[in-house]
Amino acid sequence: MLSERLISDVLLAALSTGGDFAEIFVEDTYNTVIRMMNGTVEEGVSGRDYGVGIRIFQGTKSVYAYTNKTERSNLLKVALEAAAALPGTKQVESIVLNRCVVDKFNPIKIIPRDISQREKVDVMKKAHYAAFGYDDQITQVTVNYLDTDQSIMIANSEGLLTDDRRVRTRLAINAVASKGSEKQSGFYGPGRHMGFELFDHIDVEEYAREAARTAVTMVNADYAPSGRYPVIINNEFGGVIFHEACGHGLEATSVAKGTSVFAGKLGQKVASELVTAVDDGSIPNAWGSQNIDDEGTKTRRNVLIENGILKGYMIDKLNGRRMGMKPTGNARRQSYKFAPTSRMTNTFICPGDSTVDEIISNTEFGLFAKRMGGGSVNPATGEFNFSVGEGYLVRNGKIEKPVRGATLIGRGSDILKKIDMVASNLATGQGMCGSLSGSIPADVGQPTIRVSEITVGGREGNN
Amino acid sequence: MNIQQFKDRVFEVGRSAGLEDMEVYVSQSKEFSVRIFKTEIDDYSVSSVQGVGFRASYKGKVGYAYAEVLDETSVDLLVSSAKANAEVIDSKDEIVFFPGSPSYPEVTAYNDELSSVSPEERIEFARELEARALAADSRVDLVNWAMTGYEESEIYIANTKGLEQSFVRNGGVSYVSAVVRDGEQVKTGSRFQFGNDWSKFDAEKLAQAAVNEGVSLLNADTVPSGEYRVMLRYDAARDMVQTFSSVFSGEAVQKGLSLLAGKLGQKIASSKVTLVDDPLMPNGGASIPFDGEGVASKTKKVIDQGQLTTYLHNLKTAKKDGVESTGNASRASFKSPVGISPTNFYIKPGETSYEDLLKELDDGLVIIDVQGLHSGANPVSGDFSLGAYGYLVEGGQIVRPVDQITVAGNFFRMIEDIEVIGSDLEFGIPGYGGNVGSPSLIVRSLSIAGK
Repeated sequence: MLSERLISDVLLAALSTGGDFAEIFVEDTYNTVIRMMNGTVEEGVSGRDYGVGIRIFQGTKSVYAYTNKTERSNLLKVALEAAAALPGTKQVESIVLNRCVVDKFNPIKIIPRDISQREKVDVMKKAHYAAFGYDDQITQVTVNYLDTDQSIMIANSEGLLTDDRRVRTRLAINAVASKGSEKQSGFYGPGRHMGFELFDHIDVEEYAREAARTAVTMVNADYAPSGRYPVIINNEFGGVIFHEACGHGLEATSVAKGTSVFAGKLGQKVASELVTAVDDGSIPNAWGSQNIDDEGTKTRRNVLIENGILKGYMIDKLNGRRMGMKPTGNARRQSYKFAPTSRMTNTFICPGDSTVDEIISNTEFGLFAKRMGGGSVNPATGEFNFSVGEGYLVRNGKIEKPVRGATLIGRGSDILKKIDMVASNLATGQGMCGSLSGSIPADVGQPTIRVSEITVGGREGNN
Repeated sequence: MNIQQFKDRVFEVGRSAGLEDMEVYVSQSKEFSVRIFKTEIDDYSVSSVQGVGFRASYKGKVGYAYAEVLDETSVDLLVSSAKANAEVIDSKDEIVFFPGSPSYPEVTAYNDELSSVSPEERIEFARELEARALAADSRVDLVNWAMTGYEESEIYIANTKGLEQSFVRNGGVSYVSAVVRDGEQVKTGSRFQFGNDWSKFDAEKLAQAAVNEGVSLLNADTVPSGEYRVMLRYDAARDMVQTFSSVFSGEAVQKGLSLLAGKLGQKIASSKVTLVDDPLMPNGGASIPFDGEGVASKTKKVIDQGQLTTYLHNLKTAKKDGVESTGNASRASFKSPVGISPTNFYIKPGETSYEDLLKELDDGLVIIDVQGLHSGANPVSGDFSLGAYGYLVEGGQIVRPVDQITVAGNFFRMIEDIEVIGSDLEFGIPGYGGNVGSPSLIVRSLSIAGK
């Protein structure tokens, strides 16, 4: 990538004014996307991202500059331009870089670039046929294949010099079922921090059939009733609700500024005592894992909430300075085009003691959200919204019928307190999380949980 | 290598590798942004980047590749990857590489004055945004966003059929969001401004509007569930038009992803609705003289007084339909394949002011924001169910703020149910999906879920 000499020179140029810390992030990434619709390969795109990001701190002030014109003269020019925004007296005279070898706990067996496009297409076709053949009502199947092979190097004025390689592979399957002029869709997007061996680990056809099953179930469903009532949120991608409604509020990005409802509440009860929640970027080969974060800090398991008590936040270097706390291995960014900040990795609610059957049989009336769609949150107010991808009405302790079109809204802090049953079936699902430092892969997860009351929006009147 | 040399080299290497038609799409951009928090520079970012997208036909199929560094390694990568990607394509669609239109319209989207504003002036503007917002009301707890940014970009497209066009644009953006508090209740209010006339950027006005909105939402409560007559304020209306804009794409229609298939010439919306795509609008956020395939841009009505008059096409979809391209081929970025997107895309404003709209609404809800559009709205079915907030209106007067509600309905039904169109057309921040605008709209009925 860049020579150690050039790295030191760029860091020193960045600190030539009043900065007290400088960092350089070099990225070389190969991406492939192949899109298939109804069994026909329509597009294939491959490419290479290559660029450099330079960040300078002066106390809690931060300046970021990036470029992909990486010749020496331009890098020095960019570093000096950025430094000009932090006037002051020079604080760092010399930098000694110490190469740090990272413990690689995410083994990669088959580099996707070594696999022909044809083999990738064969996996996609398997998914297509499984979904398409599931039911006569399936009228359309889209399968996208994605792989990314990111090599990074990070160096900073504290002497850190390290590197990492993140290889991720994912298949995204969308099935559409039609009945008359109505259409409903089902989605599954399995992915891992793994190479092409992903497809030795997962049953592509099973995921495809699940996507198709959701679509067919929903096209034959009635609309969900609206109102406030108990909601059972299934495991796996159901964890998106914790991710959006609570996880973002535990990121130092909003905590440091006091804009999060969880700011200043360490040691306080913020959730039902049934809730223990963790962010863990060190799970081997999980979608949101990486060996080190994008500031070079080792990823680790961070307990966020334990038995309802707030235990910790997810912290990056800059916000760590603001909060007087140490980084937690959560600094992440989409690419060199973004300054890193605190983000989630693999975030989940830990298993409890109930079973799914117990939860359903103990619910007189409610919604069972078997598959969640996406959602979003306003971190300042904690107000969230989610769509339910596949829902069922529960009546008298039994699943009565599928329902569609439900949306869940509420405030994250309220929901946490209203979790009154937690099952033992923890599972995770894969998503792309968009925030300040771009779009990044993140696992969400939980066991099946029940929330005693959520506002459910739908198109039918009150239940 | 400069861009010309790089292009020539790629075409030369591509030809010897057996590639047939080839095209490069190059974007170069410079950006600056600054964010202030508690009077300090919280974030300051400068960048200069370039990227080249390459597409080529091989045995009649088209493959794509991209790179960011203009060197010999990238030349080889582009040629070999595009060829490998072309080899697996089994779509029968015929891809046309366009030799160029006979002439191109004059479009202005670059303002010299904006480009010469210094970083210090921009920093000062962001500081002023924060200070003005803090001073605007005693209930402002803090200003969680006060930023201003600048971007200039150049697009260059050239192919082996002789096409060669380029275009330069610039734009500035500013955004402020205030957190307001009254007891336990916390709300946010925000405003943005986009444009390339720096003299029109007004920190005082933006800050005041953001704070007013936040304060107006304090002590909000839900409403009983039911069917309500609804006014979608211009920004909520715009978000809906943006989310459902793909239904007008010829590609979505041909692939069975739009319920507008087979409806050309038919009435699909209230006769009050005229929907325009205008790439020639002076200094519009998505104004450009040629589209992502090099076809000359032109203005058209997509809906004319309720009647669907055209879909948006690129060369591929136009050919399939036996019509001419509408000049709506898009490249979301140099990394993206050719798709279809609107440009400056807006519902033509009516003559009713916001105040008069409230009177027309009489009893109902004003919705000023909808949330969860990426998951709670389905462009294929038209169904939506979204988190929302706004105001309760009785007898033409706002009586109180409303939150914790969802609004549900169907887009196709909604555009038929538009009863009054406001005069307050506002555009959003231009992005990959074009630059969308709408005035406020009164809709006969939508389902609200509250308590």
